[in-house]
Amino acid sequence: MEGGVRTRRVLLALTLVTALCAVWSGWSWYAAAHDGEAAFSRLREHVLREGTQAVQDLNTLDYRDLERGLDRWEAATTGELHRQITAGRADFARQVTKAGTVTRARVLDGAVAELDERAGRARLLFAVRMTLAPPGAEPVDKRMRLIADLTRTSGGWKADALSQAPGSAA
Amino acid sequence: MQTSRSLQPLAALLLTAAGAALLYLGRAEEPRDRALLDAAATGQVLDEVGDGLTRVLSYSPDGLDLTEDAARDVLRGRAAEQYRTLFARVREEAPAQGTSMRTRVVRAGAVELTGDHAVVLVFLDQTSVREGGRESRPAAAQLTVTARYEDGRWRITELKAT
Repeated sequence: MEGGVRTRRVLLALTLVTALCAVWSGWSWYAAAHDGEAAFSRLREHVLREGTQAVQDLNTLDYRDLERGLDRWEAATTGELHRQITAGRADFARQVTKAGTVTRARVLDGAVAELDERAGRARLLFAVRMTLAPPGAEPVDKRMRLIADLTRTSGGWKADALSQAPGSAA
Repeated sequence: MQTSRSLQPLAALLLTAAGAALLYLGRAEEPRDRALLDAAATGQVLDEVGDGLTRVLSYSPDGLDLTEDAARDVLRGRAAEQYRTLFARVREEAPAQGTSMRTRVVRAGAVELTGDHAVVLVFLDQTSVREGGRESRPAAAQLTVTARYEDGRWRITELKAT
Protein backbone atom coordinates (compact mmCIF):
# COMPACT_ATOMS: atom_id res chain seq x y z
CA MET A 1 0.00 0.00 0.00
CA GLU A 2 2.79 2.46 1.08
CA GLY A 3 4.80 1.75 -2.10
CA GLY A 4 1.76 2.37 -4.31
CA VAL A 5 0.91 5.76 -2.79
CA ARG A 6 4.51 6.89 -3.01
CA THR A 7 4.76 5.83 -6.66
CA ARG A 8 1.56 7.70 -7.48
CA ARG A 9 2.93 10.76 -5.71
CA VAL A 10 6.20 10.63 -7.63
CA LEU A 11 4.43 10.16 -10.97
CA LEU A 12 2.13 13.08 -10.28
CA ALA A 13 5.06 15.25 -9.29
CA LEU A 14 6.91 14.31 -12.49
CA THR A 15 3.85 15.12 -14.58
CA LEU A 16 3.50 18.52 -12.97
CA VAL A 17 7.21 19.31 -13.42
CA THR A 18 7.09 18.26 -17.09
CA ALA A 19 4.04 20.41 -17.67
CA LEU A 20 5.73 23.33 -15.92
CA CYS A 21 8.80 22.95 -18.14
CA ALA A 22 6.63 22.94 -21.25
CA VAL A 23 4.87 26.13 -20.23
CA TRP A 24 8.18 27.73 -19.34
CA SER A 25 9.94 26.88 -22.62
CA GLY A 26 6.91 27.97 -24.65
CA TRP A 27 6.87 31.25 -22.77
CA SER A 28 10.65 31.75 -23.17
CA TRP A 29 10.49 31.17 -26.90
CA TYR A 30 7.61 33.58 -27.35
CA ALA A 31 9.23 36.19 -25.11
CA ALA A 32 12.49 35.93 -27.04
CA ALA A 33 10.76 36.39 -30.39
CA HIS A 34 8.73 39.27 -28.98
CA ASP A 35 11.86 40.89 -27.53
CA GLY A 36 13.70 40.57 -30.86
CA GLU A 37 10.85 42.34 -32.65
CA ALA A 38 10.59 45.05 -30.00
CA ALA A 39 14.35 45.60 -30.24
CA PHE A 40 14.14 46.01 -34.03
CA SER A 41 11.33 48.55 -33.74
CA ARG A 42 13.27 50.48 -31.08
CA LEU A 43 16.31 50.48 -33.36
CA ARG A 44 14.23 51.80 -36.24
CA GLU A 45 13.01 54.68 -34.08
CA HIS A 46 16.55 55.35 -32.85
CA VAL A 47 17.95 55.42 -36.39
CA LEU A 48 15.15 57.80 -37.46
CA ARG A 49 16.01 60.17 -34.60
CA GLU A 50 19.74 60.08 -35.39
CA GLY A 51 19.05 60.58 -39.10
CA THR A 52 16.72 63.49 -38.42
CA GLN A 53 19.36 65.24 -36.31
CA ALA A 54 22.10 64.58 -38.89
CA VAL A 55 20.01 65.89 -41.80
CA GLN A 56 19.05 69.04 -39.90
CA ASP A 57 22.66 69.64 -38.88
CA LEU A 58 23.96 69.10 -42.40
CA ASN A 59 21.57 71.65 -43.85
CA THR A 60 22.08 74.28 -41.16
CA LEU A 61 24.94 76.77 -41.37
CA ASP A 62 25.45 80.35 -40.22
CA TYR A 63 28.55 82.22 -41.44
CA ARG A 64 28.61 84.01 -38.06
CA ASP A 65 28.97 80.70 -36.18
CA LEU A 66 30.89 78.83 -38.81
CA GLU A 67 33.39 76.69 -36.91
CA ARG A 68 30.75 75.23 -34.62
CA GLY A 69 28.46 74.55 -37.60
CA LEU A 70 31.17 72.75 -39.53
CA ASP A 71 32.18 70.82 -36.40
CA ARG A 72 28.58 69.57 -36.28
CA TRP A 73 28.86 68.56 -39.95
CA GLU A 74 31.97 66.52 -39.21
CA ALA A 75 30.35 64.94 -36.15
CA ALA A 76 27.23 63.93 -38.10
CA THR A 77 29.10 62.14 -40.87
CA THR A 78 31.29 59.14 -41.57
CA GLY A 79 32.91 57.47 -44.57
CA GLU A 80 33.11 59.27 -47.90
CA LEU A 81 30.82 62.14 -46.88
CA HIS A 82 32.95 62.82 -43.82
CA ARG A 83 36.11 62.74 -45.92
CA GLN A 84 34.71 65.29 -48.37
CA ILE A 85 33.65 67.64 -45.58
CA THR A 86 36.96 67.56 -43.72
CA ALA A 87 39.11 67.73 -46.88
CA GLY A 88 37.28 70.76 -48.28
CA ARG A 89 36.57 72.52 -44.97
CA ALA A 90 38.94 75.47 -45.22
CA ASP A 91 37.93 76.38 -48.78
CA PHE A 92 34.26 75.95 -48.01
CA ALA A 93 34.51 78.11 -44.87
CA ARG A 94 36.00 80.94 -46.97
CA GLN A 95 33.18 80.70 -49.53
CA VAL A 96 30.46 80.65 -46.88
CA THR A 97 31.90 83.69 -45.09
CA LYS A 98 32.18 85.58 -48.35
CA ALA A 99 28.60 84.72 -49.37
CA GLY A 100 27.16 85.48 -45.91
CA THR A 101 25.25 82.22 -45.92
CA VAL A 102 22.62 81.65 -43.25
CA THR A 103 20.51 78.51 -43.59
CA ARG A 104 18.33 76.66 -41.13
CA ALA A 105 16.78 73.26 -41.78
CA ARG A 106 13.88 71.45 -40.25
CA VAL A 107 12.74 67.90 -41.01
CA LEU A 108 8.98 67.94 -41.69
CA ASP A 109 8.64 64.18 -41.95
CA GLY A 110 10.92 61.17 -42.21
CA ALA A 111 10.78 57.43 -42.73
CA VAL A 112 13.25 54.56 -42.53
CA ALA A 113 13.07 52.84 -45.92
CA GLU A 114 15.71 50.15 -45.23
CA LEU A 115 17.34 48.89 -42.05
CA ASP A 116 19.96 46.15 -41.85
CA GLU A 117 20.67 45.76 -38.14
CA ARG A 118 23.39 43.16 -38.64
CA ALA A 119 25.37 45.18 -41.17
CA GLY A 120 24.57 48.43 -39.33
CA ARG A 121 23.24 50.27 -42.41
CA ALA A 122 20.05 52.19 -43.02
CA ARG A 123 18.44 54.29 -45.76
CA LEU A 124 16.09 57.08 -44.77
CA LEU A 125 13.75 59.46 -46.59
CA PHE A 126 13.19 63.01 -45.38
CA ALA A 127 10.92 65.89 -46.38
CA VAL A 128 12.87 68.98 -45.31
CA ARG A 129 12.13 72.70 -45.12
CA MET A 130 15.26 74.78 -45.51
CA THR A 131 15.07 78.48 -44.71
CA LEU A 132 17.61 80.80 -46.30
CA ALA A 133 17.84 83.88 -44.10
CA PRO A 134 20.82 86.05 -44.97
CA PRO A 135 20.92 89.15 -42.75
CA GLY A 136 19.03 92.06 -44.21
CA ALA A 137 16.96 89.98 -46.65
CA GLU A 138 13.52 88.35 -46.46
CA PRO A 139 13.81 84.70 -45.43
CA VAL A 140 13.02 82.27 -48.22
CA ASP A 141 11.75 78.73 -47.70
CA LYS A 142 12.86 75.88 -49.87
CA ARG A 143 11.33 72.38 -49.81
CA MET A 144 13.68 69.47 -50.29
CA ARG A 145 13.33 65.74 -50.44
CA LEU A 146 16.44 63.97 -49.21
CA ILE A 147 17.72 60.43 -49.11
CA ALA A 148 20.21 59.77 -46.31
CA ASP A 149 22.33 56.65 -45.90
CA LEU A 150 23.40 55.98 -42.33
CA THR A 151 26.07 53.64 -40.98
CA ARG A 152 26.53 52.47 -37.40
CA THR A 153 29.88 53.61 -36.03
CA SER A 154 31.42 53.44 -32.57
CA GLY A 155 30.12 56.99 -32.10
CA GLY A 156 26.55 56.25 -33.14
CA TRP A 157 24.70 56.16 -36.46
CA LYS A 158 26.17 58.69 -38.90
CA ALA A 159 25.46 59.77 -42.47
CA ASP A 160 27.82 58.49 -45.13
CA ALA A 161 25.72 59.74 -48.04
CA LEU A 162 23.13 62.46 -48.49
CA SER A 163 21.41 63.43 -51.74
CA GLN A 164 18.26 64.93 -53.15
CA ALA A 165 15.81 62.36 -54.47
CA PRO A 166 16.26 62.32 -58.23
CA GLY A 167 13.47 62.86 -60.71
CA SER A 168 13.58 59.24 -61.84
CA ALA A 169 13.07 56.09 -59.78
CA ALA A 170 16.56 54.71 -59.15
CA MET B 1 -4.81 13.02 1.75
CA GLN B 2 -1.02 12.88 2.16
CA THR B 3 -0.48 12.82 -1.63
CA SER B 4 -2.35 15.93 -2.61
CA ARG B 5 -1.11 18.08 0.28
CA SER B 6 2.57 17.66 -0.61
CA LEU B 7 1.91 18.42 -4.25
CA GLN B 8 -0.19 21.50 -3.62
CA PRO B 9 2.70 23.99 -3.75
CA LEU B 10 3.92 22.55 -7.06
CA ALA B 11 0.44 22.60 -8.55
CA ALA B 12 -0.04 26.17 -7.38
CA LEU B 13 3.27 27.18 -8.97
CA LEU B 14 2.27 25.57 -12.27
CA LEU B 15 -1.09 27.31 -12.32
CA THR B 16 0.51 30.67 -11.55
CA ALA B 17 3.11 30.20 -14.28
CA ALA B 18 0.47 29.20 -16.80
CA GLY B 19 -1.71 32.15 -15.80
CA ALA B 20 1.15 34.62 -16.03
CA ALA B 21 2.15 33.26 -19.44
CA LEU B 22 -1.38 33.69 -20.73
CA LEU B 23 -1.53 37.27 -19.43
CA TYR B 24 1.82 38.06 -21.08
CA LEU B 25 0.72 36.56 -24.39
CA GLY B 26 -2.54 38.50 -24.21
CA ARG B 27 -0.73 41.79 -23.66
CA ALA B 28 1.60 41.12 -26.56
CA GLU B 29 -1.37 40.94 -28.92
CA GLU B 30 -1.90 44.71 -28.66
CA PRO B 31 -1.17 46.35 -32.03
CA ARG B 32 2.50 47.21 -32.34
CA ASP B 33 4.22 49.32 -34.99
CA ARG B 34 5.28 46.79 -37.60
CA ALA B 35 6.82 49.27 -40.07
CA LEU B 36 9.84 47.55 -41.65
CA LEU B 37 9.63 44.79 -39.05
CA ASP B 38 7.00 43.03 -41.17
CA ALA B 39 8.55 43.28 -44.63
CA ALA B 40 5.55 41.83 -46.45
CA ALA B 41 3.00 44.10 -44.78
CA THR B 42 5.25 47.13 -45.27
CA GLY B 43 5.69 46.29 -48.95
CA GLN B 44 1.95 45.91 -49.35
CA VAL B 45 1.05 49.27 -47.81
CA LEU B 46 3.72 51.07 -49.86
CA ASP B 47 2.53 49.41 -53.09
CA GLU B 48 -1.16 50.06 -52.49
CA VAL B 49 -0.75 53.64 -51.28
CA GLY B 50 1.64 54.40 -54.14
CA ASP B 51 -0.69 52.83 -56.67
CA GLY B 52 -3.66 54.73 -55.24
CA LEU B 53 -1.83 58.07 -55.43
CA THR B 54 -0.76 57.46 -59.01
CA ARG B 55 -4.33 56.71 -60.04
CA VAL B 56 -6.04 59.63 -58.28
CA LEU B 57 -3.40 62.24 -59.12
CA SER B 58 -3.15 61.41 -62.82
CA TYR B 59 -5.76 62.41 -65.39
CA SER B 60 -6.36 63.12 -69.04
CA PRO B 61 -9.04 65.44 -70.44
CA ASP B 62 -10.98 62.51 -71.99
CA GLY B 63 -10.44 60.15 -69.07
CA LEU B 64 -11.64 62.18 -66.12
CA ASP B 65 -14.26 59.56 -65.25
CA LEU B 66 -11.50 57.00 -64.78
CA THR B 67 -9.72 59.25 -62.34
CA GLU B 68 -12.93 59.99 -60.47
CA ASP B 69 -13.69 56.26 -60.22
CA ALA B 70 -10.20 55.67 -58.81
CA ALA B 71 -10.82 58.39 -56.23
CA ARG B 72 -14.06 56.74 -55.17
CA ASP B 73 -12.17 53.49 -54.76
CA VAL B 74 -9.05 54.79 -53.05
CA LEU B 75 -10.01 57.84 -50.97
CA ARG B 76 -11.93 58.05 -47.70
CA GLY B 77 -12.72 60.65 -45.06
CA ARG B 78 -10.95 63.99 -45.20
CA ALA B 79 -8.92 63.00 -48.25
CA ALA B 80 -12.12 62.28 -50.19
CA GLU B 81 -13.56 65.68 -49.20
CA GLN B 82 -10.44 67.63 -50.09
CA TYR B 83 -10.21 65.82 -53.38
CA ARG B 84 -13.79 66.63 -54.38
CA THR B 85 -13.02 70.37 -54.25
CA LEU B 86 -9.78 69.92 -56.19
CA PHE B 87 -11.32 67.68 -58.78
CA ALA B 88 -14.23 70.04 -59.47
CA ARG B 89 -11.68 72.55 -60.72
CA VAL B 90 -9.87 69.93 -62.80
CA ARG B 91 -13.18 68.98 -64.44
CA GLU B 92 -13.67 72.59 -65.48
CA GLU B 93 -10.18 73.42 -66.66
CA ALA B 94 -8.63 70.25 -68.08
CA PRO B 95 -11.00 69.69 -71.00
CA ALA B 96 -10.88 73.40 -71.89
CA GLN B 97 -7.08 73.56 -71.82
CA GLY B 98 -6.48 70.00 -72.98
CA THR B 99 -3.96 69.34 -70.23
CA SER B 100 -3.11 65.95 -68.74
CA MET B 101 -1.33 65.19 -65.49
CA ARG B 102 0.96 62.26 -64.93
CA THR B 103 1.98 61.41 -61.37
CA ARG B 104 4.71 58.97 -60.49
CA VAL B 105 5.99 57.71 -57.14
CA VAL B 106 9.75 58.30 -56.84
CA ARG B 107 10.22 56.96 -53.30
CA ALA B 108 8.01 55.85 -50.44
CA GLY B 109 8.69 54.87 -46.85
CA ALA B 110 6.49 53.68 -44.01
CA VAL B 111 6.47 56.07 -41.07
CA GLU B 112 4.05 53.94 -39.07
CA LEU B 113 2.20 50.65 -39.56
CA THR B 114 -0.04 49.66 -36.66
CA GLY B 115 -2.86 47.17 -37.18
CA ASP B 116 -5.10 48.70 -39.83
CA HIS B 117 -3.59 52.20 -39.60
CA ALA B 118 -0.58 53.41 -41.59
CA VAL B 119 1.33 56.61 -42.28
CA VAL B 120 3.51 56.76 -45.40
CA LEU B 121 5.94 59.41 -46.65
CA VAL B 122 5.85 59.63 -50.46
CA PHE B 123 8.03 61.53 -52.93
CA LEU B 124 6.10 62.23 -56.15
CA ASP B 125 6.98 63.60 -59.55
CA GLN B 126 4.12 65.34 -61.36
CA THR B 127 4.38 66.11 -65.05
CA SER B 128 1.72 68.13 -66.81
CA VAL B 129 1.29 67.62 -70.54
CA ARG B 130 -0.18 70.43 -72.61
CA GLU B 131 -2.31 69.99 -75.68
CA GLY B 132 0.06 69.01 -78.46
CA GLY B 133 2.16 66.83 -76.19
CA ARG B 134 4.54 69.37 -74.70
CA GLU B 135 5.60 68.19 -71.24
CA SER B 136 6.52 70.37 -68.30
CA ARG B 137 9.59 69.60 -66.24
CA PRO B 138 8.46 67.23 -63.46
CA ALA B 139 7.41 69.06 -60.32
CA ALA B 140 8.58 67.44 -57.09
CA ALA B 141 6.08 66.92 -54.32
CA GLN B 142 6.30 65.34 -50.89
CA LEU B 143 3.18 63.96 -49.24
CA THR B 144 2.50 62.47 -45.84
CA VAL B 145 -0.31 60.00 -46.43
CA THR B 146 -2.52 58.44 -43.75
CA ALA B 147 -4.25 55.21 -44.72
CA ARG B 148 -6.71 52.73 -43.26
CA TYR B 149 -7.03 49.06 -44.20
CA GLU B 150 -10.65 48.52 -45.18
CA ASP B 151 -12.42 45.87 -47.27
CA GLY B 152 -9.28 44.12 -48.41
CA ARG B 153 -7.06 47.08 -49.32
CA TRP B 154 -5.45 50.22 -48.02
CA ARG B 155 -7.57 53.36 -48.48
CA ILE B 156 -6.18 56.86 -48.17
CA THR B 157 -7.85 58.95 -45.46
CA GLU B 158 -5.56 61.97 -45.38
CA LEU B 159 -3.13 63.71 -47.72
CA LYS B 160 -0.77 66.35 -46.41
CA ALA B 161 1.84 68.15 -48.48
CA THR B 162 5.11 68.27 -46.54
